[in-house]
Amino acid sequence: MSLISLDQVSYTYYGRKEPAVSSVSLQIFKGEKIAITGLNGSGKSTLAKLMLGLLKPQKGQVYLHNCPIEKYPLPEIGRKLGYVSQRPYQMLFNTTVYKEIAFGLKWKGKTRTDTYRLTREYLEYFDLWHLKDELPYNLSEGQKQLVVISAVLVLEPEFLILDEPTKSLDKKRKKHLQSILYNIWSRGTGIILISHDRAFIKDFQGRRVHMVRGEVDCDES
Amino acid sequence: MKVDVRTKLLIVAILSLFALIYQDLVVLAGLFLLSIAILLAFRVPLRILGNMKYMLFFYLGLILMQSFFVHSGKPLLRWGDLYLLTTDGVFYGATIFFRFSILALSGLLLVTCPGGDLVLALVKMKVPGEIILMIQIGIRFLPVLKDELQNTLAAIQLRGVDLKKVYKRKVIKVYVSLFSPIIYMIYKKAEKLSILLELRGFRKYEKRTYYRDISFSKFDYFLIGLIIIISSLIIIGAERYR
Ligand SMILES: Nc1ncnc2c1ncn2[C@@H]1O[C@H](COP(=O)(O)OP(=O)(O)OP(=O)(O)O)[C@@H](O)[C@H]1O
Ligand SMILES: [Mg+2]
Repeated sequence: MSLISLDQVSYTYYGRKEPAVSSVSLQIFKGEKIAITGLNGSGKSTLAKLMLGLLKPQKGQVYLHNCPIEKYPLPEIGRKLGYVSQRPYQMLFNTTVYKEIAFGLKWKGKTRTDTYRLTREYLEYFDLWHLKDELPYNLSEGQKQLVVISAVLVLEPEFLILDEPTKSLDKKRKKHLQSILYNIWSRGTGIILISHDRAFIKDFQGRRVHMVRGEVDCDES
Repeated sequence: MKVDVRTKLLIVAILSLFALIYQDLVVLAGLFLLSIAILLAFRVPLRILGNMKYMLFFYLGLILMQSFFVHSGKPLLRWGDLYLLTTDGVFYGATIFFRFSILALSGLLLVTCPGGDLVLALVKMKVPGEIILMIQIGIRFLPVLKDELQNTLAAIQLRGVDLKKVYKRKVIKVYVSLFSPIIYMIYKKAEKLSILLELRGFRKYEKRTYYRDISFSKFDYFLIGLIIIISSLIIIGAERYR
């Protein structure tokens, strides 16, 4: 049984002639590792937003656990699928880095001590603990990226969708990210990685889906 | 046929002015129909009207409020001593409905022209540069503000917070915590924008040239003539009716 499945999904942005995603069918299974590649504008980010129900396809249907995705309220989707958007600043909305990570934990009903422990663990892992009282919006691009990634990972979703997570990261942080992704994956979490970073994708391994002008060009394990 | 922005502005101005001057239900209803006809004539995509359906609740609320507080007229619906609906209430409510609708509909006319043209029209009408700049930035910032809010709300919900289910007090807390970063982001964006403007050599008092140009065509003069005639007819007709 597939976790996310797309059936002939097409999406055209308002006012555009060409569809950004056209007739895409994909089956994504629990615990799977998938790398989505493709040139700029080939529709990778749009595909991710369709999988999350953030965009509604004009044609076709997206299913989550075999149920049409629009049946789920956004918070429930968020609890199942962790999403890091290509523009991390859009996902930051707290007044300090610490609160940013702790936010989801608190709403999940974690105790104060657990929240503190987990938040500290993730921030220390990415060398961000010294920035815990800073305004997220003032961080460097790479730091913002890491804060968003931590804030999503800490919630332990069933599946991760990462849109260009390595974009502004240095070598060391990329390595850290790669190994934490590996750990999470070996504990059973599925991961979709959208990326241009060849070396990172190579180390990531997993199924490859290549997109060309909105269509899935090849899909191989 | 391409119509100059200034002609459209004139239409919007006159329609809005009439909507504010006239209080008569029949005149307002006529103006309302006229606005719809104008929108159709200018091929404004009426899909936009879909967004206005939320306003309907607002109107209904207004009609009820009017009935509550305006006790003249025959009661249509009452509950003990409480008037829920009176003829006058419905009457006033409808008046307000038409007024708001005309204002909103006529504004939609400007949707069909590129934002740049609107600015150019203001320049040609010799509106001071500072004011134009403010309007221009305002036009550019509204969608940014809307996107920012939507994105942040989606981001919050994706972190597992169900805004519909949390307690009222906490919802307010979430929204309050939303505002400070959003305002901060907008402030930062505005700051960047001003630096960018200066980097590209934009100065307030310099004479600028524009890539686009707008000019009146024969059709525009014809339209303006038509506008004057129709407006006079409306004024005369409304006087008569009184
Ligand atoms: N908000 C939008 N409005 C209109 N068109 C859009 C919007 N977002 C994306 N597009 C268009 O949709 C197409 C696919 O964009 P998308 O962002 O999905 O590409 P991508 O594969 O993620 O590219 P990149 O590698 O640059 O991130 C592009 O042609 C783009 O111009
Ligand atoms: Mg993208």
